[in-house]
Amino acid sequence: MDYDAIVIGSGISGGWAAKELCERGLRTLLIERGRRVTHKSDYQDFAAPWELDHRGQVPEDEKRRDYAIQSTCYAFNSATKQWWVKDSEHPYLTPEGRDFLWLRGYHLGGRSLTWARQTYRFSDIDFGANRKDGHGVDWPIRYSDVSPWYDRVESFAGISGNSEGLEQLPDGRFLKPMELNCAELDFKRKLEDRHPSRRVTIGRCANLSEPTAEHIALGRGPCQLRNVCERGCGYGGYFSTLSATLPAAERTGNLTVVTDAIVESLDYDHAKRRISAVRVIDTHTKQRRSYQARVVFLCASTIPTAQVLLNSKSDFFPNGLANSSDQVGRNLMDHVHGMGAIGHVPGFLDRYYYGRRPTGIYIPRYANVTEDGRGEYTRGWAFQGKGERPNWDRALDMASVGAELKAELREPGPWQMVLFGFAEMLPRPDNRVTLHASKTDTWGLPLVHIDCTFGENELKLAAAADQDAKAMLTAAGCTNVRALFPRLSPPGTSVHEMGTARMGLDPRTSVLNRHNQAHDVPNLYITDGSCMTSSSCVNPSLTYMALSARAAHHAADLLATGEL
Amino acid sequence: METGSSEKLNRRALLAGAVFLLGGAAALTRFARRPGDPAAADGPALSAEQFSLLEQVSETMVPATDTAGAIAAGVPEFIREMLVQWGSRSTRVEITQVLEAIEQHAWRKFGMSFLEMPAERRLVVLKEFDAARIAAHEGAYRKFKWLVLIGYYHSEVGATHELRFELVPGAWRACLPITEVGRASAFYGN
Repeated sequence: MDYDAIVIGSGISGGWAAKELCERGLRTLLIERGRRVTHKSDYQDFAAPWELDHRGQVPEDEKRRDYAIQSTCYAFNSATKQWWVKDSEHPYLTPEGRDFLWLRGYHLGGRSLTWARQTYRFSDIDFGANRKDGHGVDWPIRYSDVSPWYDRVESFAGISGNSEGLEQLPDGRFLKPMELNCAELDFKRKLEDRHPSRRVTIGRCANLSEPTAEHIALGRGPCQLRNVCERGCGYGGYFSTLSATLPAAERTGNLTVVTDAIVESLDYDHAKRRISAVRVIDTHTKQRRSYQARVVFLCASTIPTAQVLLNSKSDFFPNGLANSSDQVGRNLMDHVHGMGAIGHVPGFLDRYYYGRRPTGIYIPRYANVTEDGRGEYTRGWAFQGKGERPNWDRALDMASVGAELKAELREPGPWQMVLFGFAEMLPRPDNRVTLHASKTDTWGLPLVHIDCTFGENELKLAAAADQDAKAMLTAAGCTNVRALFPRLSPPGTSVHEMGTARMGLDPRTSVLNRHNQAHDVPNLYITDGSCMTSSSCVNPSLTYMALSARAAHHAADLLATGEL
Repeated sequence: METGSSEKLNRRALLAGAVFLLGGAAALTRFARRPGDPAAADGPALSAEQFSLLEQVSETMVPATDTAGAIAAGVPEFIREMLVQWGSRSTRVEITQVLEAIEQHAWRKFGMSFLEMPAERRLVVLKEFDAARIAAHEGAYRKFKWLVLIGYYHSEVGATHELRFELVPGAWRACLPITEVGRASAFYGN
C-alpha cells in the first residue's frame, strides 16, 4: 500500500480531512487537480490600487472569451484572476434556458482562498427539517453529533463572532466580534424594536480578530482589516487550506501533496468491497497513473465528486461507484440569491469608520422559526448586509464635474444600508448532475451536465425575503428604499452547491451513512458539500469542516482497530 | 519565451484593430485618423488631437485645485493605455464617440473647439454634457466617467493625497467622529 489514506481535493473539506488524518498518524496523500500555490508569495495582497493590472479590471475581450461565467462573481478581478478556471478550457453543459453558474478555481487550496468566510452552524431545526416537512430524506445525525466538531474546527480556524443564544443559529467558540458601525447599530435598535423576533448581529467570519497561540504557531497573524481577502492573505488573517490546514498537516511529516493530477475514477474491488486504486491523469502530459491507500476521502467538491463517482463504473456498479441508491448526482442544491434592498440612512453625517471590515451584518432566519411562514412556504432565509458610506464611485450616478465634484467626493457619501438574502433550497431528485454520453473535455473525461432549477417553494421564499428586505429598511427609517437586484440569479450564484451524494439512514435512498462513509463502499468517505442532506439557509463551509474532521477520526478509529 | 512572443503578436493585432476602428468611428470629424497610418501601428490608441481632447476633458472633470488634477495624476495616459490593453473594440468606439460628442457640444454651445476655449467655458460645456448623459443613464458616458474617476482616485496621488488610502489599516474602528478619520476612503465600496 502506497499510503494509509488518499484525500482527493485540497479545498476546505480536503484540507481538513488531510490535517486530521495526518494528525492521527496516517500517511496521507493529498491529490489536487490544479497547480501548486505557495502561501504568501503567490498573492497580490500588497498591491495598491495603482499597482494592479488595469486597476483591477480584467480586459473586456479576455473576460468575455475566457471567464464569461467566472467573472459574474464579485470576487473576480485582475488580482484574483488566477483563482478562477477559464470557462473556455473547462466547459460544462446546461439545458437551454436553465443556467447554472459553476464558479470554481483549480489550484492548491481551491475555493478556500476565495470564499467569503461567513461561518455559521447548522442547528437542530436544520438537521430535523427534512423529517419534519417530508422533503428529501432524514439526516442521519443531529446537532449534538456535530456540536463538538464545530467546537474543534472553530477553535482551529478562528471564527470572529458574537454569541446570541438563538436556537436557529447556535453559538460557537468565537474570537472577539468585529463591531457594528453607527448605521448598523441604529438599524439593529430600530429593527429589533419593531420586530422583537428578529435579530441583527455581526457576520460570523473566519478572520482572526484576535489570534490564539494555536493560530500563531502556524504562522498566522491578526486580520489587518484590508478587506482584500480574495487575493489571498500574506498575514494568514483568514482561514484557508494554505494558511491553516495544510501547514498543520505538513508539520506532522505524514503528508504528501501531488498537484496537477486530475482524478479520473476510482477502481473498485468487489471481492473485497473496497476501492483498490485512485486513477489520475497528469494535467500537462495527460499520462495516466494510479495510487493506492487503505481509505479514500473524496473531497473534490459537490459537482466533481459526483463526476468522479459517475465515471467510476464497474460490473457491480454500472451506474457509478457507491450508487446503488441512484442518488449520486441528484438533489443538487444552492442557496437562492438575488433578493435584497438598499436604502438611504438619514443622519450620522458627522460619523465615519476607519479600516475595511471583512464582514457585514447578519439577520438569522426568523421565517418558520420565531415567525410562522404564513402557511405559504416551508423553511426560510437569512440576510447578510452592511451599513456604509459610499465613496467616489457614487459619482457615476451623480451629475457633477469640476472642482465641485472633487470637493464633494472628498467627503464620504451619506449612509446607506444594504440587505441581501440567502434562501434555503429543498432537495429535489431532478436537480441533477449527470455525465454527457459522448462529449468530453481536454483529458477525455465526459463533460458534466447540470440541470438545476428553483422550485415553487424557493420562489415563494425569495419573494417573501425580497419583500421583507424592503419592509425592514423602511421600518428602520431608511428612505429611497429600492431593490438591490433586478431579478433572482441562476442557481450556483451563491457558490454553496451541495447534495449530490447525500447522507441518510437508508442505503436504498442515500449514498453516505452517518459518518460520511459510503453505504456501498466502506473505505470511501465523502465530506465535501455533496454529503449534505438539506441545505439550511446558512453558509455551509463550517459544516463541511466539522463533518470532514468527524469523518477523518471515524476512519482513523476503524483503521486502528483493523475494521477498515 | 513562446508565450511572450505570441502575446506580442496578439498585442500588435489588437492595436491594429483598435486603430482601424478608431479611424472608422472618428472619420467624420477633424479628429479622424487615416486607417493604415504607419505611425499608428505601434502607437497610441488615440490620435494626437484626440489625446489632447482627452487631456482637457479629464482635467476639466477633475481639475487641479489644492491637490493635483487629472493631468498631473496621469489620467489621460492611463485611459489611453486602458483603451489598448483593457477595452474591447466596442469600448474604444464608445469612448472616442463620447469625446467626439463633447467636442460637438462645444461647437454647438460656443462655436469653437473644446481645445480652443478657456477653462470656464470648458466647464460649462462639460457640466451640461454630464448632466444630460447622467440623467439619461447613458452607458458609454458612464464608462468614460468611470475611466476618468478610477484613473484619478486610484492613482497614487488621487488615492493618498486627494482622498485617504491605507494599504494596511491594521484596525477597525466602527464609529468615529469624521474629523478623526479625515477624508473619504479611496477604496471601492467602503
